[in-house]
Amino acid sequence: MAQKDQLFKQIFDTNSKKIFHLCYGYTGDADAANDLLQETFLKVWQNLDKFKNKSLISTWIYRIAVNTCLTYLRSEKRQAKDELTENIIESRAEEYSEKNEQIALLYKSISKLEENDRLIITMVLDELPYAEIAEISGISEGNLRVKIHRIKQRLTEIYNQHARI
Amino acid sequence: MQEFEHIQSLWDTHKVEVKISSDEMLRQSKKEVNSIRLKSLLNLAGMVFSFLAITSIWTFYDVQSWATHAGLTIIITSIGVYTFLMYQGHKLIANNDFTIHPKAFLENLKLYQINRYSLYNKLYWIYTVALSIGLILCFFEMLARLEVWIQYVVVLFSFAWVIFCSALVRKVAMKREKERIALLIEKFERLSTQFKD
Repeated sequence: MAQKDQLFKQIFDTNSKKIFHLCYGYTGDADAANDLLQETFLKVWQNLDKFKNKSLISTWIYRIAVNTCLTYLRSEKRQAKDELTENIIESRAEEYSEKNEQIALLYKSISKLEENDRLIITMVLDELPYAEIAEISGISEGNLRVKIHRIKQRLTEIYNQHARI
Repeated sequence: MQEFEHIQSLWDTHKVEVKISSDEMLRQSKKEVNSIRLKSLLNLAGMVFSFLAITSIWTFYDVQSWATHAGLTIIITSIGVYTFLMYQGHKLIANNDFTIHPKAFLENLKLYQINRYSLYNKLYWIYTVALSIGLILCFFEMLARLEVWIQYVVVLFSFAWVIFCSALVRKVAMKREKERIALLIEKFERLSTQFKD
């Protein structure tokens, strides 16, 4: 049991930041991202024995996080994504700066994308190798490249639209 | 007009801080379950206390009438049986760690929900009727030495209390607990559906 605890801690320390960022990118809300992070690592803890080393452990954890994100918002019937991004803007009002405003705008733009696209772009932004993203999202690498290209274009478009307002 | 590189640089500059450690995370996840366990334990402690209190009345009070003996027997038996049923429910969630046996824990949580539901419904009414009969039998002897107006107050207060508990407290407690357990079950189900051995 102590060995499992040790392994879990190591896995958590190595991956938690990236998973949190993924969840944050998906929900646009720090509290929701924290809930998702907890749920993801609870699943990791429960299923650590089932991990078969067929893929990288980070890929396995990302896949868990992606599934968790996709099921979480639907089943919890959380606030609409627009409201969530309003929260970010509000919570950042105190520490207002041009940079923060741009960051808030970025999350708002991400929230306008389709659910799956949001997760894919978050992984792209986190600079995960395409092969890994393909494995996590279950899309062939060829199709993924095309998809990523479109998502990048769409995100840039949305961001610029909002930046002009 | 910004390019994607600008978006990438924004993403990179936004440093996120994970404010939870692995130990804390597991502890927090267990907290919800522990609070249900604690509540169940407190309920049990309350019942045991009532059992002991009524038994001590029987021991220290000089009971003369057969009606009082019968009343106390009914009350103590009802409390004993109800406590035992509560304990059966408590055992379902007390000895199981969901991080070690998640599926077994989930099953037991569902059984616990059914157990609590029957405790708050059919069994509760049987328990209340038994307690009321027991009280009526005890009142014959115990209230006989008191003044008439005090007898009325005690009888009225006792039955008002029984009605208050049955009509209001029971419903509120049942609703709260149902929501709480249902939420936990939903959460654990969501956790386990993602994995099929």
